[in-house]
Amino acid sequence: MRTKMIGVILAAVLATLALGSVFTGIASAAPQWKFNGTALSGKEDVLGAAISSSMTIPGMTTTCEHFLYNMGIENASGTGKGEIKELPLFECHTSGACVVEAIEARALPWPTHLMTVAEKQYLFVEGVEVGILYEGPLCPIAETEMVVKGTAGGLISNATETATFNSSSFSATGAQLKVGGTPIEWNGVFPTEAFEWHREESLSVG
Amino acid sequence: MKGKSGARWLVALLCVTALVGFQAASASAHTGEWAKFNYCPTTETGVVKCIYSLTTGGEVVLGSKKVPIVNPVTVQGGLSKPTSGVRSMFAATNGVTLSKTPEPVPGGLLGIVPPESSPWLVKQLSKFFFENGLTGVNATLELAKPVSEVKVNELNLESGSGVAFVLPVKVHLENPFLGKECYVGSSSSPLTWNLTTGKTSPPAGFEPITGSPGLGEFKEEGTLLQINGAKLVENNWSAPQATGCGGILSFLVDPVINSMIGLPTAAGHNKAILETTDDLATIGAVNLH
Repeated sequence: MRTKMIGVILAAVLATLALGSVFTGIASAAPQWKFNGTALSGKEDVLGAAISSSMTIPGMTTTCEHFLYNMGIENASGTGKGEIKELPLFECHTSGACVVEAIEARALPWPTHLMTVAEKQYLFVEGVEVGILYEGPLCPIAETEMVVKGTAGGLISNATETATFNSSSFSATGAQLKVGGTPIEWNGVFPTEAFEWHREESLSVG
Repeated sequence: MKGKSGARWLVALLCVTALVGFQAASASAHTGEWAKFNYCPTTETGVVKCIYSLTTGGEVVLGSKKVPIVNPVTVQGGLSKPTSGVRSMFAATNGVTLSKTPEPVPGGLLGIVPPESSPWLVKQLSKFFFENGLTGVNATLELAKPVSEVKVNELNLESGSGVAFVLPVKVHLENPFLGKECYVGSSSSPLTWNLTTGKTSPPAGFEPITGSPGLGEFKEEGTLLQINGAKLVENNWSAPQATGCGGILSFLVDPVINSMIGLPTAAGHNKAILETTDDLATIGAVNLH
Protein backbone atom coordinates (compact mmCIF):
# COMPACT_ATOMS: atom_id res chain seq x y z
CA MET A 1 0.00 0.00 0.00
CA ARG A 2 2.84 2.36 0.96
CA THR A 3 4.79 1.45 -2.20
CA LYS A 4 1.70 2.23 -4.28
CA MET A 5 1.32 5.62 -2.55
CA ILE A 6 4.95 6.53 -3.25
CA GLY A 7 4.41 5.50 -6.88
CA VAL A 8 1.42 7.84 -7.20
CA ILE A 9 3.34 10.74 -5.64
CA LEU A 10 6.33 10.10 -7.91
CA ALA A 11 4.09 10.07 -10.98
CA ALA A 12 2.50 13.34 -9.88
CA VAL A 13 5.91 14.96 -9.37
CA LEU A 14 7.08 13.79 -12.79
CA ALA A 15 3.90 15.06 -14.42
CA THR A 16 4.32 18.44 -12.73
CA LEU A 17 7.93 18.67 -13.90
CA ALA A 18 6.93 17.74 -17.43
CA LEU A 19 4.14 20.34 -17.45
CA GLY A 20 6.54 22.94 -16.10
CA SER A 21 9.02 22.31 -18.87
CA VAL A 22 6.26 22.70 -21.46
CA PHE A 23 5.29 26.09 -20.04
CA THR A 24 8.95 27.12 -19.86
CA GLY A 25 9.24 26.15 -23.52
CA ILE A 26 6.33 28.45 -24.43
CA ALA A 27 7.71 31.29 -22.34
CA SER A 28 11.14 31.04 -23.92
CA ALA A 29 9.52 31.20 -27.35
CA ALA A 30 7.92 34.58 -26.59
CA PRO A 31 8.87 36.97 -29.39
CA GLN A 32 11.09 39.96 -28.77
CA TRP A 33 11.94 43.14 -30.62
CA LYS A 34 15.28 42.89 -32.42
CA PHE A 35 17.43 45.39 -34.25
CA ASN A 36 19.83 43.97 -36.81
CA GLY A 37 19.10 40.56 -35.31
CA THR A 38 19.98 41.54 -31.74
CA ALA A 39 17.37 41.74 -29.02
CA LEU A 40 16.53 45.32 -28.07
CA SER A 41 17.79 46.38 -24.69
CA GLY A 42 16.32 49.53 -23.25
CA LYS A 43 13.59 51.43 -25.01
CA GLU A 44 13.03 52.66 -28.52
CA ASP A 45 10.41 54.66 -30.38
CA VAL A 46 8.96 53.30 -33.56
CA LEU A 47 7.19 55.64 -35.95
CA GLY A 48 5.25 54.96 -39.08
CA ALA A 49 2.41 55.82 -41.38
CA ALA A 50 -0.03 53.28 -42.67
CA ILE A 51 0.42 52.34 -46.32
CA SER A 52 -3.33 51.94 -46.36
CA SER A 53 -5.89 51.79 -43.59
CA SER A 54 -9.62 51.43 -43.49
CA MET A 55 -12.29 50.47 -41.01
CA THR A 56 -15.53 48.85 -42.08
CA ILE A 57 -18.82 48.88 -40.25
CA PRO A 58 -21.08 46.58 -42.32
CA GLY A 59 -22.15 48.67 -45.30
CA MET A 60 -19.76 51.58 -44.82
CA THR A 61 -15.97 51.84 -44.95
CA THR A 62 -14.02 54.72 -43.44
CA THR A 63 -10.57 55.25 -44.94
CA CYS A 64 -7.85 57.54 -43.63
CA GLU A 65 -5.25 58.72 -46.12
CA HIS A 66 -2.84 59.61 -43.34
CA PHE A 67 -2.80 57.21 -40.42
CA LEU A 68 0.32 57.83 -38.37
CA TYR A 69 1.50 56.22 -35.16
CA ASN A 70 4.18 56.53 -32.53
CA MET A 71 4.85 53.40 -30.49
CA GLY A 72 7.31 52.98 -27.66
CA ILE A 73 8.81 49.46 -27.54
CA GLU A 74 10.96 47.42 -25.15
CA ASN A 75 11.65 43.84 -24.19
CA ALA A 76 10.38 43.20 -20.69
CA SER A 77 10.54 39.84 -18.92
CA GLY A 78 11.60 38.20 -22.16
CA THR A 79 8.68 39.48 -24.21
CA GLY A 80 8.39 42.34 -26.64
CA LYS A 81 6.06 44.96 -25.24
CA GLY A 82 5.22 48.58 -25.78
CA GLU A 83 2.54 51.20 -26.04
CA ILE A 84 1.03 53.26 -28.80
CA LYS A 85 1.53 56.81 -27.63
CA GLU A 86 0.17 58.82 -30.53
CA LEU A 87 -2.15 58.04 -33.40
CA PRO A 88 -3.04 61.12 -35.43
CA LEU A 89 -5.55 60.47 -38.21
CA PHE A 90 -5.98 62.80 -41.19
CA GLU A 91 -7.97 63.10 -44.39
CA CYS A 92 -10.54 60.48 -43.58
CA HIS A 93 -13.54 59.77 -45.77
CA THR A 94 -16.21 57.12 -46.17
CA SER A 95 -17.59 54.92 -48.91
CA GLY A 96 -21.12 56.05 -48.05
CA ALA A 97 -23.09 59.22 -47.54
CA CYS A 98 -21.24 60.30 -44.42
CA VAL A 99 -18.42 62.80 -44.16
CA VAL A 100 -15.87 62.37 -41.38
CA GLU A 101 -16.20 65.59 -39.41
CA ALA A 102 -13.79 64.56 -36.66
CA ILE A 103 -11.79 61.49 -35.74
CA GLU A 104 -9.61 61.03 -32.70
CA ALA A 105 -7.70 58.24 -30.96
CA ARG A 106 -8.47 58.32 -27.24
CA ALA A 107 -7.41 56.80 -23.96
CA LEU A 108 -3.80 56.71 -25.16
CA PRO A 109 -1.37 55.12 -24.55
CA TRP A 110 -2.65 51.76 -25.74
CA PRO A 111 -0.59 48.84 -24.35
CA THR A 112 0.89 46.44 -26.89
CA HIS A 113 2.71 43.15 -26.76
CA LEU A 114 4.11 40.63 -29.19
CA MET A 115 2.64 37.16 -29.39
CA THR A 116 3.21 34.00 -31.37
CA VAL A 117 0.30 32.09 -32.86
CA ALA A 118 0.91 29.04 -35.06
CA GLU A 119 4.56 30.03 -35.47
CA LYS A 120 3.69 33.50 -36.70
CA GLN A 121 4.41 36.70 -34.79
CA TYR A 122 1.71 39.23 -34.07
CA LEU A 123 1.46 42.66 -32.49
CA PHE A 124 -1.49 42.76 -30.09
CA VAL A 125 -2.95 46.16 -29.17
CA GLU A 126 -5.22 46.60 -26.16
CA GLY A 127 -7.51 49.43 -25.07
CA VAL A 128 -8.16 50.75 -28.56
CA GLU A 129 -10.61 53.64 -28.53
CA VAL A 130 -11.36 55.89 -31.48
CA GLY A 131 -14.16 58.47 -31.56
CA ILE A 132 -15.61 59.39 -34.94
CA LEU A 133 -18.14 62.12 -35.65
CA TYR A 134 -19.85 61.76 -38.99
CA GLU A 135 -21.82 64.47 -40.75
CA GLY A 136 -23.71 64.97 -43.97
CA PRO A 137 -27.27 65.70 -45.07
CA LEU A 138 -27.80 62.06 -46.06
CA CYS A 139 -25.76 60.50 -43.25
CA PRO A 140 -28.02 58.45 -40.94
CA ILE A 141 -25.58 58.78 -38.03
CA ALA A 142 -24.96 62.50 -38.47
CA GLU A 143 -24.42 64.42 -35.24
CA THR A 144 -23.90 61.21 -33.30
CA GLU A 145 -20.43 60.17 -32.28
CA MET A 146 -19.49 56.56 -32.95
CA VAL A 147 -16.91 55.08 -30.61
CA VAL A 148 -14.76 52.18 -31.78
CA LYS A 149 -13.47 50.11 -28.87
CA GLY A 150 -11.62 46.86 -28.35
CA THR A 151 -8.39 45.13 -29.27
CA ALA A 152 -6.43 44.74 -32.49
CA GLY A 153 -3.98 42.10 -33.70
CA GLY A 154 -1.59 42.56 -36.62
CA LEU A 155 0.66 40.03 -38.38
CA ILE A 156 4.31 41.04 -38.34
CA SER A 157 6.46 40.46 -41.40
CA ASN A 158 10.20 40.63 -40.80
CA ALA A 159 10.81 40.59 -44.53
CA THR A 160 8.88 43.79 -45.19
CA GLU A 161 9.17 45.24 -41.66
CA THR A 162 5.43 45.77 -41.48
CA ALA A 163 2.47 44.89 -39.28
CA THR A 164 -0.65 43.96 -41.22
CA PHE A 165 -4.05 44.19 -39.57
CA ASN A 166 -6.95 42.37 -41.25
CA SER A 167 -9.68 39.86 -40.48
CA SER A 168 -7.17 36.97 -40.54
CA SER A 169 -4.84 38.62 -38.04
CA PHE A 170 -7.77 39.56 -35.81
CA SER A 171 -9.07 36.01 -35.94
CA ALA A 172 -5.65 34.50 -35.18
CA THR A 173 -5.09 36.73 -32.15
CA GLY A 174 -8.66 36.76 -30.89
CA ALA A 175 -8.78 40.53 -31.24
CA GLN A 176 -12.06 42.34 -31.80
CA LEU A 177 -13.08 45.92 -32.46
CA LYS A 178 -16.68 47.00 -32.04
CA VAL A 179 -18.91 50.00 -32.42
CA GLY A 180 -21.45 49.30 -29.71
CA GLY A 181 -22.46 45.72 -30.37
CA THR A 182 -21.40 45.74 -34.01
CA PRO A 183 -18.07 44.08 -34.87
CA ILE A 184 -16.04 46.11 -37.33
CA GLU A 185 -13.22 45.14 -39.64
CA TRP A 186 -9.96 47.02 -39.66
CA ASN A 187 -7.51 46.70 -42.52
CA GLY A 188 -4.13 48.36 -42.36
CA VAL A 189 -0.49 47.85 -43.26
CA PHE A 190 1.95 49.66 -40.99
CA PRO A 191 5.68 49.91 -41.77
CA THR A 192 7.87 49.84 -38.65
CA GLU A 193 10.93 52.03 -38.37
CA ALA A 194 13.01 53.02 -35.37
CA PHE A 195 13.23 56.71 -34.74
CA GLU A 196 15.80 57.13 -31.95
CA TRP A 197 18.81 54.91 -31.07
CA HIS A 198 18.31 52.32 -33.79
CA ARG A 199 17.44 54.57 -36.69
CA GLU A 200 17.94 52.89 -40.09
CA GLU A 201 18.56 49.51 -38.43
CA SER A 202 16.55 46.49 -39.51
CA LEU A 203 13.68 45.88 -37.09
CA SER A 204 12.51 42.30 -36.70
CA VAL A 205 10.59 40.15 -34.27
CA GLY A 206 11.62 36.70 -33.16
CA MET B 1 -72.43 86.19 -62.18
CA LYS B 2 -73.33 82.52 -62.70
CA GLY B 3 -70.19 82.02 -64.77
CA LYS B 4 -68.00 83.60 -62.07
CA SER B 5 -69.55 81.38 -59.42
CA GLY B 6 -68.97 78.30 -61.58
CA ALA B 7 -65.32 79.24 -62.01
CA ARG B 8 -64.94 79.58 -58.22
CA TRP B 9 -66.41 76.11 -57.76
CA LEU B 10 -64.02 74.73 -60.35
CA VAL B 11 -61.01 76.32 -58.64
CA ALA B 12 -62.17 74.98 -55.27
CA LEU B 13 -62.65 71.52 -56.73
CA LEU B 14 -59.19 71.58 -58.29
CA CYS B 15 -57.68 72.69 -54.97
CA VAL B 16 -59.43 69.88 -53.10
CA THR B 17 -58.35 67.35 -55.74
CA ALA B 18 -54.75 68.60 -55.55
CA LEU B 19 -54.80 68.46 -51.76
CA VAL B 20 -56.16 64.92 -51.69
CA GLY B 21 -53.59 63.91 -54.28
CA PHE B 22 -50.78 65.49 -52.25
CA GLN B 23 -51.88 63.80 -49.03
CA ALA B 24 -52.12 60.43 -50.74
CA ALA B 25 -48.64 60.93 -52.17
CA SER B 26 -47.13 61.99 -48.82
CA ALA B 27 -48.57 58.91 -47.15
CA SER B 28 -47.16 56.37 -49.59
CA ALA B 29 -44.42 58.09 -51.53
CA HIS B 30 -41.60 55.76 -50.61
CA THR B 31 -40.91 52.22 -51.73
CA GLY B 32 -38.63 49.36 -50.75
CA GLU B 33 -36.54 50.00 -47.66
CA TRP B 34 -37.89 53.55 -47.54
CA ALA B 35 -41.56 52.60 -47.29
CA LYS B 36 -41.19 52.30 -43.52
CA PHE B 37 -40.66 56.08 -43.42
CA ASN B 38 -43.95 56.82 -45.20
CA TYR B 39 -45.34 58.46 -42.09
CA CYS B 40 -42.23 60.36 -41.04
CA PRO B 41 -43.03 64.09 -40.78
CA THR B 42 -40.21 65.08 -43.13
CA THR B 43 -41.67 68.49 -43.89
CA GLU B 44 -42.26 69.48 -40.28
CA THR B 45 -40.01 72.21 -38.91
CA GLY B 46 -37.45 70.85 -36.49
CA VAL B 47 -37.43 67.29 -37.84
CA VAL B 48 -33.98 66.20 -39.04
CA LYS B 49 -34.21 62.42 -38.96
CA CYS B 50 -36.75 59.66 -39.30
CA ILE B 51 -36.98 56.62 -37.07
CA TYR B 52 -38.87 53.37 -37.45
CA SER B 53 -38.55 50.93 -34.58
CA LEU B 54 -40.28 47.56 -34.75
CA THR B 55 -40.57 45.52 -31.56
CA THR B 56 -41.08 41.87 -32.45
CA GLY B 57 -40.39 40.21 -29.13
CA GLY B 58 -39.78 40.64 -25.47
CA GLU B 59 -42.15 40.99 -22.56
CA VAL B 60 -43.72 43.39 -20.11
CA VAL B 61 -43.96 42.30 -16.51
CA LEU B 62 -46.47 44.38 -14.59
CA GLY B 63 -46.66 43.34 -10.96
CA SER B 64 -47.55 39.66 -10.98
CA LYS B 65 -48.59 39.61 -14.65
CA LYS B 66 -46.20 38.77 -17.48
CA VAL B 67 -47.28 39.69 -20.99
CA PRO B 68 -45.09 38.40 -23.83
CA ILE B 69 -44.93 40.63 -26.90
CA VAL B 70 -46.26 38.37 -29.64
CA ASN B 71 -47.74 40.99 -31.98
CA PRO B 72 -45.26 43.51 -33.49
CA VAL B 73 -45.36 47.00 -32.01
CA THR B 74 -44.20 50.01 -34.03
CA VAL B 75 -42.67 53.28 -32.87
CA GLN B 76 -42.27 55.71 -35.77
CA GLY B 77 -41.91 59.40 -36.42
CA GLY B 78 -39.40 62.18 -36.73
CA LEU B 79 -36.45 63.19 -34.56
CA SER B 80 -35.18 66.63 -33.62
CA LYS B 81 -31.59 67.83 -33.60
CA PRO B 82 -29.89 66.51 -30.46
CA THR B 83 -29.55 68.52 -27.29
CA SER B 84 -26.75 67.00 -25.21
CA GLY B 85 -27.13 63.86 -27.32
CA VAL B 86 -30.88 63.55 -26.72
CA ARG B 87 -33.39 63.88 -29.54
CA SER B 88 -37.10 64.55 -29.09
CA MET B 89 -39.63 62.72 -31.16
CA PHE B 90 -42.20 64.17 -33.56
CA ALA B 91 -45.53 62.45 -34.23
CA ALA B 92 -45.99 60.23 -37.26
CA THR B 93 -48.12 61.83 -39.99
CA ASN B 94 -50.77 59.10 -39.69
CA GLY B 95 -51.05 59.71 -35.96
CA VAL B 96 -49.75 56.25 -35.13
CA THR B 97 -46.46 57.07 -33.43
CA LEU B 98 -46.82 54.12 -31.07
CA SER B 99 -49.02 51.48 -32.65
CA LYS B 100 -51.91 50.36 -30.50
CA THR B 101 -51.12 46.68 -30.82
CA PRO B 102 -53.10 44.41 -28.48
CA GLU B 103 -51.03 41.72 -26.77
CA PRO B 104 -52.95 38.81 -25.25
CA VAL B 105 -52.56 38.51 -21.49
CA PRO B 106 -51.81 34.84 -20.75
CA GLY B 107 -54.70 33.37 -18.81
CA GLY B 108 -56.87 36.38 -19.52
CA LEU B 109 -59.49 36.89 -16.84
CA LEU B 110 -58.64 33.45 -15.51
CA GLY B 111 -55.75 35.13 -13.84
CA ILE B 112 -57.85 37.91 -12.40
CA VAL B 113 -60.72 35.98 -10.86
CA PRO B 114 -62.30 38.07 -8.11
CA PRO B 115 -61.45 36.76 -4.68
CA GLU B 116 -64.16 35.34 -2.45
CA SER B 117 -64.33 38.56 -0.48
CA SER B 118 -65.30 40.60 -3.57
CA PRO B 119 -68.69 42.31 -3.73
CA TRP B 120 -71.57 40.12 -4.92
CA LEU B 121 -72.13 42.22 -8.07
CA VAL B 122 -68.50 41.90 -9.18
CA LYS B 123 -68.59 38.15 -8.69
CA GLN B 124 -71.83 37.87 -10.68
CA LEU B 125 -70.45 39.98 -13.54
CA SER B 126 -67.25 37.99 -13.62
CA LYS B 127 -69.23 34.76 -13.61
CA PHE B 128 -71.37 36.02 -16.50
CA PHE B 129 -68.32 36.77 -18.66
CA PHE B 130 -66.70 33.48 -17.80
CA GLU B 131 -69.80 31.53 -18.67
CA ASN B 132 -70.04 33.33 -22.00
CA GLY B 133 -66.41 32.66 -22.93
CA LEU B 134 -65.44 36.33 -22.72
CA THR B 135 -62.39 35.80 -20.58
CA GLY B 136 -59.67 36.93 -22.99
CA VAL B 137 -57.82 40.09 -21.98
CA ASN B 138 -55.58 42.17 -24.19
CA ALA B 139 -52.97 44.62 -22.98
CA THR B 140 -52.17 47.50 -25.31
CA LEU B 141 -49.38 50.01 -24.85
CA GLU B 142 -50.32 53.62 -25.45
CA LEU B 143 -48.36 56.82 -25.12
CA ALA B 144 -49.21 58.56 -21.85
CA LYS B 145 -47.55 61.86 -22.70
CA PRO B 146 -47.21 64.03 -25.81
CA VAL B 147 -44.96 62.52 -28.48
CA SER B 148 -42.35 65.20 -27.75
CA GLU B 149 -41.80 63.46 -24.39
CA VAL B 150 -40.44 60.41 -26.22
CA LYS B 151 -36.65 60.78 -26.26
CA VAL B 152 -33.95 58.97 -28.20
CA ASN B 153 -30.20 58.94 -27.51
CA GLU B 154 -28.49 57.29 -30.47
CA LEU B 155 -25.06 57.22 -28.86
CA ASN B 156 -26.43 55.31 -25.87
CA LEU B 157 -28.42 53.08 -28.20
CA GLU B 158 -25.29 51.99 -30.05
CA SER B 159 -22.89 52.01 -27.12
CA GLY B 160 -24.91 49.87 -24.73
CA SER B 161 -24.78 52.30 -21.83
CA GLY B 162 -27.09 54.96 -20.46
CA VAL B 163 -30.68 55.64 -21.41
CA ALA B 164 -31.33 55.03 -25.11
CA PHE B 165 -35.11 55.47 -25.26
CA VAL B 166 -37.52 57.24 -22.92
CA LEU B 167 -41.08 56.00 -23.37
CA PRO B 168 -43.85 57.36 -21.12
CA VAL B 169 -46.62 54.79 -21.54
CA LYS B 170 -49.83 53.45 -20.06
CA VAL B 171 -51.30 49.97 -20.40
CA HIS B 172 -54.83 49.61 -21.70
CA LEU B 173 -56.47 46.43 -20.40
CA GLU B 174 -59.24 45.39 -22.77
CA ASN B 175 -62.10 43.00 -22.14
CA PRO B 176 -65.90 43.39 -22.15
CA PHE B 177 -65.90 42.94 -18.38
CA LEU B 178 -63.25 45.60 -17.89
CA GLY B 179 -64.88 48.13 -20.20
CA LYS B 180 -63.12 50.56 -22.53
CA GLU B 181 -61.32 52.75 -20.03
CA CYS B 182 -59.36 50.28 -17.93
CA TYR B 183 -55.83 51.64 -17.70
CA VAL B 184 -52.70 51.19 -15.65
CA GLY B 185 -50.89 54.51 -15.90
CA SER B 186 -52.10 57.88 -17.13
CA SER B 187 -50.78 61.18 -18.42
CA SER B 188 -50.36 62.34 -14.82
CA SER B 189 -48.91 59.00 -13.62
CA PRO B 190 -47.22 57.42 -16.63
CA LEU B 191 -45.18 54.25 -16.62
CA THR B 192 -41.88 55.90 -17.49
CA TRP B 193 -39.54 53.51 -19.23
CA ASN B 194 -35.93 54.65 -19.36
CA LEU B 195 -34.84 51.89 -21.71
CA THR B 196 -31.20 50.94 -22.14
CA THR B 197 -29.29 48.57 -24.38
CA GLY B 198 -26.85 48.16 -21.50
CA LYS B 199 -27.37 47.15 -17.89
CA THR B 200 -30.29 48.45 -15.84
CA SER B 201 -29.99 50.03 -12.40
CA PRO B 202 -32.94 48.74 -10.38
CA PRO B 203 -33.42 49.59 -6.71
CA ALA B 204 -31.33 47.71 -4.17
CA GLY B 205 -32.43 44.12 -3.76
CA PHE B 206 -33.39 43.62 -7.40
CA GLU B 207 -31.24 42.00 -10.07
CA PRO B 208 -30.24 44.24 -12.99
CA ILE B 209 -31.05 43.02 -16.47
CA THR B 210 -28.83 43.48 -19.49
CA GLY B 211 -29.86 44.55 -22.97
CA SER B 212 -27.97 44.53 -26.24
CA PRO B 213 -27.11 47.27 -28.75
CA GLY B 214 -27.71 44.83 -31.60
CA LEU B 215 -25.87 44.79 -34.90
CA GLY B 216 -25.71 47.88 -37.08
CA GLU B 217 -25.66 47.78 -40.84
CA PHE B 218 -25.62 50.58 -43.38
CA LYS B 219 -27.93 50.09 -46.33
CA GLU B 220 -28.90 52.04 -49.45
CA GLU B 221 -25.36 53.27 -50.15
CA GLY B 222 -24.84 54.22 -46.55
CA THR B 223 -27.89 56.45 -46.28
CA LEU B 224 -29.95 54.15 -44.05
CA LEU B 225 -28.80 52.59 -40.80
CA GLN B 226 -30.51 49.45 -39.64
CA ILE B 227 -29.87 48.05 -36.16
CA ASN B 228 -30.95 44.44 -35.88
CA GLY B 229 -31.39 42.45 -32.71
CA ALA B 230 -31.30 45.35 -30.28
CA LYS B 231 -32.65 44.54 -26.83
CA LEU B 232 -33.92 47.47 -24.78
CA VAL B 233 -34.50 46.75 -21.11
CA GLU B 234 -35.80 48.53 -18.03
CA ASN B 235 -36.74 47.32 -14.55
CA ASN B 236 -36.62 50.50 -12.55
CA TRP B 237 -40.16 51.74 -13.09
CA SER B 238 -43.16 51.88 -10.84
CA ALA B 239 -46.82 51.43 -11.74
CA PRO B 240 -49.86 53.10 -10.16
CA GLN B 241 -53.23 51.52 -9.46
CA ALA B 242 -55.54 50.59 -12.31
CA THR B 243 -58.35 53.02 -13.05
CA GLY B 244 -61.58 52.95 -15.02
CA CYS B 245 -61.96 49.16 -15.00
CA GLY B 246 -65.54 47.88 -15.18
CA GLY B 247 -67.03 51.13 -16.45
CA ILE B 248 -69.45 52.60 -13.94
CA LEU B 249 -68.51 49.79 -11.56
CA SER B 250 -64.89 50.80 -11.55
CA PHE B 251 -65.10 51.64 -7.86
CA LEU B 252 -65.76 47.93 -7.35
CA VAL B 253 -63.69 46.39 -10.16
CA ASP B 254 -60.54 48.52 -9.86
CA PRO B 255 -59.70 47.10 -6.41
CA VAL B 256 -60.11 43.56 -7.77
CA ILE B 257 -57.76 44.25 -10.67
CA ASN B 258 -55.28 45.97 -8.37
CA SER B 259 -55.40 43.07 -5.97
CA MET B 260 -54.88 40.45 -8.63
CA ILE B 261 -52.06 42.25 -10.47
CA GLY B 262 -50.51 43.57 -7.30
CA LEU B 263 -50.91 47.29 -8.06
CA PRO B 264 -49.54 49.73 -7.26
CA THR B 265 -46.05 48.30 -7.65
CA ALA B 266 -42.82 49.95 -6.65
CA ALA B 267 -39.83 50.18 -8.98
CA GLY B 268 -37.97 46.90 -9.33
CA HIS B 269 -41.07 44.70 -9.43
CA ASN B 270 -41.83 45.52 -13.05
CA LYS B 271 -39.91 44.79 -16.17
CA ALA B 272 -39.92 45.85 -19.83
CA ILE B 273 -37.90 43.98 -22.43
CA LEU B 274 -38.24 45.08 -26.05
CA GLU B 275 -36.51 43.20 -28.86
CA THR B 276 -36.33 45.62 -31.74
CA THR B 277 -35.16 46.35 -35.25
CA ASP B 278 -34.47 50.06 -35.65
CA ASP B 279 -34.13 52.04 -38.86
CA LEU B 280 -32.72 55.57 -39.03
CA ALA B 281 -32.26 57.98 -41.89
CA THR B 282 -32.05 61.72 -42.40
CA ILE B 283 -35.04 63.54 -43.85
CA GLY B 284 -32.77 64.47 -46.76
CA ALA B 285 -32.25 60.79 -47.60
CA VAL B 286 -35.92 59.93 -47.07
CA ASN B 287 -37.11 62.77 -49.30
CA LEU B 288 -34.81 61.59 -52.09
CA HIS B 289 -36.64 58.28 -52.28
